[in-house]
Order: sequence, then structure tokens, then C-alpha cells
Amino acid sequence: MAMLSHARCLRASSPIIRRRISTAADPSTRQIFVSKSTSPHFNLSIEDWLLKTAPRDQPALFLYRNAPSVIIGRNQNPWKEVNLAAMQALGFQLVRRRSGGGTVFHDLGNTNFSIHLPRASFDRARTGRVIEHAVRNIMGVYDARTNARNDLCVGDMKVSGSAYKIAGTRAYHHGTMLIATRLDSLGDALRNDKIKMLTKGVASVRSPVCNLRQWKPDASHEQFVQAAVESFRQEFDVEREPAFIDEGDFQDVQQVRQSIDELQTWECVYGQTPEFTHSLAQDFSWGAVTVDIHSKHGVILDASSDACPDLASKLVGRRYGTLDGLDVAALSTQEREVYDWLLRAM
Amino acid sequence: MLARVASRSLAASARLRLPLARTIVTKKYTKEHELIAYDSDTRTGTMSISDYAQKSLGQVAFVELPSVGADVAQEENIGTVESTKAASDIYAPISGKVVAINEELSSNPGLINKDPEGAGWLVKIEAGSSVEKELDALLTEEEYTAHCESEDAH
Repeated sequence: MAMLSHARCLRASSPIIRRRISTAADPSTRQIFVSKSTSPHFNLSIEDWLLKTAPRDQPALFLYRNAPSVIIGRNQNPWKEVNLAAMQALGFQLVRRRSGGGTVFHDLGNTNFSIHLPRASFDRARTGRVIEHAVRNIMGVYDARTNARNDLCVGDMKVSGSAYKIAGTRAYHHGTMLIATRLDSLGDALRNDKIKMLTKGVASVRSPVCNLRQWKPDASHEQFVQAAVESFRQEFDVEREPAFIDEGDFQDVQQVRQSIDELQTWECVYGQTPEFTHSLAQDFSWGAVTVDIHSKHGVILDASSDACPDLASKLVGRRYGTLDGLDVAALSTQEREVYDWLLRAM
Repeated sequence: MLARVASRSLAASARLRLPLARTIVTKKYTKEHELIAYDSDTRTGTMSISDYAQKSLGQVAFVELPSVGADVAQEENIGTVESTKAASDIYAPISGKVVAINEELSSNPGLINKDPEGAGWLVKIEAGSSVEKELDALLTEEEYTAHCESEDAH
């Protein structure tokens, strides 16, 4: 077993122990799974379980919806991508997924698809066609087209964004389908103006989006699920019926339970953040303050400030964003003002 | 003319003989498209992703590596290579301890595309005791080329 000093939440090295599994949750007899749960932690864990346990030569499809949440890519910086204060005020969850790519907003007006194939025969154009066929030919949104990035658009607006993951002998294409998402919430949660934060890792590409409802007023989750299932079965010649699953079916699957717990840890959500620097500046009644912070894996590695050198030295080794464990009582009045501002500005 | 050819080949064999006498580097591949160049003298392997993998991933945007000092087991997921197309898990080709990571990749991940098996190396692993057996289980260059051709045929 590896000893890694930073987050290993997104890595799977633990043995997969399968005991009693409800028949609905058996990847050797089912190929199509539709989640009844709206927990992002459960659904992302099922996606990973399917990636690791589905028979290596068979295609698989997973469809799910999440309660309002912001899902960042594996190698992204949440402090750069997301407006955490707005998100918390709205009661949204922040989750880091295992696939690459940019940040997306999920709510019950958005349905996610995940198509799994053997790595050797994985073809993103083919999986893209499955979804295009579902929306265009089965649901009847005739203007829907796949663009050069393999995302589904109507006109020049995206209704779906995709990301891809490869692990061992398997690979998947997953994506969002905006049906009736609260686009105003999406804007609030993803607005961020920290121009003085320079970060490594992967930046999101902002694109204009719209809902399928705009083009087809009766479009619904159930309709898209049915269309995606039908399109998948046609393309891959699958006859098996979908399994409708939730947490109850996976109570005895240790890999899923462990993954659900891991996705909720600080190590996973924040501790996986690539290296970044942030230069913060503020005018106080008694003078101007600049604080320069260098962080990796969510922890402050170095901090400097000409106006508050003592406070800066106390930041080192603490978690960026929350500064857990800093002895607030020992701060001077001015340092306390700077500390309060830092908590808001980070 | 003959003399020139003879002297050149002598020089070439001298160049070859010198490193060979010192150490033997074994190059082996995994089916998941990693490779390890193992130096039996230092008992250390340099891990990379193959040129085939680099081509199929496209432009690399970020590389996530284990920390120096980490113990890794063969086939264990030790990081990811994220490109504009996908996040791809990477697996340790041999068991051992990570003794170096390629720090250059953090600011220049494109090195993996430019020179995957050279300047774009990922980590150096100091081998554990079962390394000979582990290397035996990996693919030779010929076997790996055949493996890639069979994947392309799909």
C-alpha cells in the first residue's frame, strides 16, 4: 500500500471486495444503470465502480441526476473556478470528480450520461453520436449538432459538455445534458474574479449554454433517459433492460461506500488542488496591506507581507481558505482585521 | 576506403562496449502504455508513458505525480496525465520507492508530447526485491508494438 503525503482520494488501490450485491447492482448481468439517487457522492462513486468492475469487453451506460452542486475537474483549483461564498449561501455542494476537464453546475434540471467502453475500442465520436441521436432523432430536437469539441449544441449554444477518463483497460465519456437547469444559479456559483490568483492545473473554458426546454418545451429527465437508453441499445446491440439503482442496492459494496466517504473529505475536495499563488491587497484605515501566498495541495507553503510579517509567518502550514488552527486570540487588533479580511478574500 | 569503414566500426563498437560493460538497461512496457527503463546497476527504473500513449492522448495539460519517498506497488494507480482529451490514470510498472519526480513537468507538461521517453519522463523508482519477476511479466518492445497494433485494429 502506498504512503503518499498528499491526497490520494481519487486513486483506487484498495482491493475491491464484493459481498452480497443486489441483482440490480450486478455489472455482470446488467449494462444499463439509471440512478434513483440524487446524491453526487453516490452517483460519482457508482460511475467509478462501473469503470473498475464492468466486464472489460462490454459497453455500459449510466444515467443520473444530482441535487444542486458544483462539480470541478480532477486537476482544478476550486478557489479559482468557483464562487465558494455564493455557493455556500445557496446551499450547493462542491465535489471534485475523477475525470479531467472543467467545472460544471448540476441540479435536477440537468441529467448526466456516462458511456463506458473497452479502452481499445473507445471512440469519442461514436459515444457523441449516441447522445446526438438520442436528442435529435428520438427526442426530436432537430437542430442539435455535435461541435468540434464533441459537445452537443443547438445553434451556437451548448446544451451538453463532456469529459473523458481512461483507467486500465476501460474508458468512459461522460457529460451533462441541460434540460431545465436554473441557469441563474449556474452563473452565480461559477462567477469568480480572482485575477491575482495564478494557478497550475486545468482552467475551465466558459461557453454560452442553454436548456433543451428552450427548443422543446416538454423536454424532461424521463424523456432523455428513455431516449439515451434506446440510442445506446441500438448502437451497441444491447437487449438487457436498465437497472434502477440507489444507495440501498450498494450497502454491501465496500468500494462504493469507501468512495462515497472519500469524495466528501477535505483532502479530496481541496487537498487535491494543484500549486498556485495568490496576491491579495487591501486598504485599511491605518494603511495598505499586501499578502502573497504560495499554496500546494490546499496548504499554504509560503506567505509574505511587508505590513504584517508576523501574521504572514503564522499562515504557513495552514489550510488555504480556512486557516484552521491559527491562534486568533494572540493577534493584535490590526492583525485581526487583516485575518478577517483574508478569510473573506481567499 | 576499407580502412575507413573498419576504423569507424571499431569506434562504434568501442562506444557501445563502454556503457554495456558498466550496466544493463532493460526497457519494458505495460499494456496500459507505461514504460520503464530499468538500470540493473543502480536498481532504479525511469518511468514514462509511451510515444503511442502520448499521441493518443493529445496535448498534455497537467501531470499529477506521487511524492518523492512514496512506496508504490506494481500496477498501483500512482497519478494521472490529463490532456485536452482525457484524464488517464497511470500505474506503477514495478514496485519500489519513488526517488525522483520530473519537476519540469509542473511548468512544462508539454515535454511529454515533445519527448515522452526522454525529457518527458515521469518518476524514478528504486526497485524492490521482486523486480526481476515483475520485469519478466511486462512486455518487450516487440510485444508492446504488437499490442498497440492490435488496439489500432479495433
